[in-house]
Amino acid sequence: MIETERRDKLLRAMLDELALAGYEEASVERAQAAAGVSEAEFGVEFADKDACLFAAYDHLTDQVVARASLHCGHDKPWPERIRDGLEALLEELASEPRLAWALTRSFPGIRPAAYQRYVELLGRFIPFMREGREYSEVDEELPGEVELLAVGAAEAIIFGEVDAGRAERLPQMLPEILFSVLVPFMGPDRAADEMRSAAASI
Amino acid sequence: MSSSWVLPAVSERERLLRATAELWRRDGYEGLSEAAICECAGVGQESFERMFANVEEAAGAVIEVPLGAVVEVVGQQYSADRSEAESYARAIAGILELMAANPDYAYVVYIAGRQMAPPEVHRGYESGHRFLVAMLERLWGSSSAAEQPARAGLGALGAAEALVRREIAGGRFERLPELAPECVFAATVPFLGQREALRLAKSVAT
Repeated sequence: MIETERRDKLLRAMLDELALAGYEEASVERAQAAAGVSEAEFGVEFADKDACLFAAYDHLTDQVVARASLHCGHDKPWPERIRDGLEALLEELASEPRLAWALTRSFPGIRPAAYQRYVELLGRFIPFMREGREYSEVDEELPGEVELLAVGAAEAIIFGEVDAGRAERLPQMLPEILFSVLVPFMGPDRAADEMRSAAASI
Repeated sequence: MSSSWVLPAVSERERLLRATAELWRRDGYEGLSEAAICECAGVGQESFERMFANVEEAAGAVIEVPLGAVVEVVGQQYSADRSEAESYARAIAGILELMAANPDYAYVVYIAGRQMAPPEVHRGYESGHRFLVAMLERLWGSSSAAEQPARAGLGALGAAEALVRREIAGGRFERLPELAPECVFAATVPFLGQREALRLAKSVAT
């Protein structure tokens, strides 16, 4: 059994390998060396490279969701909580561009089963969106999947920046990403108000 | 006449493209090889090599097939008798029908080309994506919004695509046409507001 600290280091090192070298060239041996984990210890915990990579991705996504949700407390109106959670997420991705790349680009691209994990990650943000329905400016019911639409809007812009190698710019894009997240729930005028307020606070 | 002059019912190129899409969907890009594609297509490797320099070139050609079909669908739904937004709503419904009927190409264009492709092939995906973003951003011309946030078109398209990708990743291709109202809402709400986006969404409900 590898203790938590070295296990975390190993998982992190595997994602670094994936981001830097790509799936085929990602080296378990280099990750083990970086974390100070022996081959025997690795073998007890993981069947192979894939098992370690999938565990690393699950660990990373747990951390990302937990940090974003930490900033989505209940002490503020919903649009502000979404802004705070989004801000935390963007700062985290910007501070670790390699992990941002592994999270959005290289791991989901390994094969269809890995992509399914990415779909599941997006689904984990849906509960944060539900309260947005109370902010609609129309009496009619919003589409049944409006929460996923909001998550998808943010994902598309974040993916575009990470893919272009500009992850460090993400925090500056908070206002426009916030607009795209809020607009299905609040309409363009009120979403733009929130966008301006976010821009003023940067 | 030699039997080699008899044209096959489906061209070898089309069979190779379909086989590439099928294997790409099943095994990811790393699982593609010239031998596997040829075996799946029932085509000799000499034919593959006559048409494509390598697997990457074949993958690039595969991306072009659904992108070309999407452009055609958009063009077919354009009419002077309809507003631009109504034309787009119908085009979105048409694209979803097209993808439902062609699962392998749908996987390639929505997921594989975005996530599982080398840079050259990925650029083909990006050019198709930019076309659709630019199309949506033309809706600013019909908008009364005081402000036009940057990347609103990318966000709108991404919203609809997240829903489509979830169904494709789950293998639920037959459900894609049912997503038309939600996709139309997502694609138009930043530009036209909730009321008009909901009206357009209803117009494509089956």
